[in-house]
Amino acid sequence: MFWYHVRKRLSAYLHGELRPEESRRVAEHLMICRRCRDEYEEIKFGALMAARLSDDLARAQAPASLWAELEGMIEGAGAPRRRLTPARRPLKIALAGAATLALAFGVFWFYPRAPRPGWDVTRIEGAPKIGSKTVGEVGKLRVGEWLVTDDSSRAEIHVGEIGQVQVDPGSRVRLVEAKADEHRLALARGKMQAFIWAPPRQFYVDTPSAVAVDLGCAYTLEVGEDGQGLLSVVAGWVAFEWQGRESFVPAMAMCVTRPRLGPGTPYFSDASEEFQNALAIFDVAESGSDARSNALQTTLAKSRKRDALTLWHLLARTDGDDRLRVYSRLAELIPPPPQVTPEAVMSGDRAALDLWWEKLELGSAEWWRIWKGPVPSQTK
Amino acid sequence: MKRGAVMSEQAGEGRLIEACQRGDREAFRELFEAHKDRVWTVALRFTGDESAARDVTQQVFLKLFTSIAGFRQESNFKTWLYRLVANECMDEFRKRRRLIPFDFFRPASGDERDEDCGAIEMKEWRQEPLQEERLARLEISEAVLAALAQLKPKLRMAIVLKYFEDLSYEQMSEALGCSTGTVASRLNRGHKALAQKLAHLRK
Repeated sequence: MFWYHVRKRLSAYLHGELRPEESRRVAEHLMICRRCRDEYEEIKFGALMAARLSDDLARAQAPASLWAELEGMIEGAGAPRRRLTPARRPLKIALAGAATLALAFGVFWFYPRAPRPGWDVTRIEGAPKIGSKTVGEVGKLRVGEWLVTDDSSRAEIHVGEIGQVQVDPGSRVRLVEAKADEHRLALARGKMQAFIWAPPRQFYVDTPSAVAVDLGCAYTLEVGEDGQGLLSVVAGWVAFEWQGRESFVPAMAMCVTRPRLGPGTPYFSDASEEFQNALAIFDVAESGSDARSNALQTTLAKSRKRDALTLWHLLARTDGDDRLRVYSRLAELIPPPPQVTPEAVMSGDRAALDLWWEKLELGSAEWWRIWKGPVPSQTK
Repeated sequence: MKRGAVMSEQAGEGRLIEACQRGDREAFRELFEAHKDRVWTVALRFTGDESAARDVTQQVFLKLFTSIAGFRQESNFKTWLYRLVANECMDEFRKRRRLIPFDFFRPASGDERDEDCGAIEMKEWRQEPLQEERLARLEISEAVLAALAQLKPKLRMAIVLKYFEDLSYEQMSEALGCSTGTVASRLNRGHKALAQKLAHLRK
């Protein structure tokens, strides 16, 4: 672990300007140091505000009259001084022409043979395979290739320079994209444990029913034969997204994702069994059915203050009387700010929901919305 | 942009610069047209004042015109241009501080807006689907601009180059004539100062 404080490096970390090993040390330090984490939150907020300006203000257009004014000033300044070495120019032009030709030839010759980008793979145990080839001690997983582990194999993927993923036995993982700003795997089945130290939204995992978007964290992701997935977050945050439906999952929380339904409602792993079972029924039951209504009733009745995370997500997944019931229970557990009226919540006012989120003390809503650019599309 | 397009753009700019070095006035006009909005944006966001931004932009291009013969193509032209802008902004700041308080980033009121180039005119704002949301964003951005105006000039310039021009730390270090560590430090301090000045928007 990295024990020295990292305050001076925080903006560079946020902007992805640190070397990978340095970035990793900062990420590790932030997990253990409250002081630096608080400072990071402050810097992120400042960065969010600054980024807001560039989002909202288009590039300004210079006044049309500027050239006329400038031309007058140029007249007074006279012509620019000519270069002192004109005799060398033909030689330079010839050399530049030759260099251009050589470059064009090089591109033509090498481009078709350039290997697809890939990530290093290390065998941990057994005989993991990339395609049909067994990985020795190390191998290379290239874009489009599958890494497959049988019941007794395990391997580690080095995610570019931003993290590591351990692939457990019985898994199929494909490398989808290996760009500097988009690192993407697809987990078809099995289990993987990811530890990512890059700034948020650089690492994605496609599953059959949702995309896990790293927001700076460590987590475990499992996908069963039926395509159902389970996300457990160890540190930081992960967003689970599918067709506009999103769940934000903090450390010590979990979220199930199901084919055709997408991410379910997240919950803390220490929630009661009754709460978890009722929530599972609510997530899959048909809208308007008695089963769903009863499951919601149980979920609300068994909720603790800590389960406000789940109830906050339920506000967006219910409507009418059901939403009002969720509102009332959440208001008992975490009283909303004065601006967050029942009317605002009933109409699905995003700003009001964000304000209430702030009261949950799980981190600022702005904090993760700073990364809320469009998510690159699911499996290509 | 694809690599080929970037190379072809650079080659085109290289030819333009060579023509400027030969004293070709039309080529200089073309170079001016290609970069005027870039220079104007940095100057305007730094000074927050159209008259100061006008002075800075004119001085930058005048210096460009008189010294372009000495520019060597192995350097990056845009970085050189940003360096001229940053220096000119600092000079303008020092000059005006001696005369009158610099009225940074004052949002133009209805009567004061210049049809050509308002500092934060409504027409500059990107289209938003909802008028209310647009107004709310306008209000927040005005607060951010005001906070930015209160930053120390070096911190403000770092924020402007990073967020309006999207420069890397390396590019900023070249443009500002300092190390990447100093760039990181200025951004750190700038972010913190903005966060403190805008703390009321956090809740």
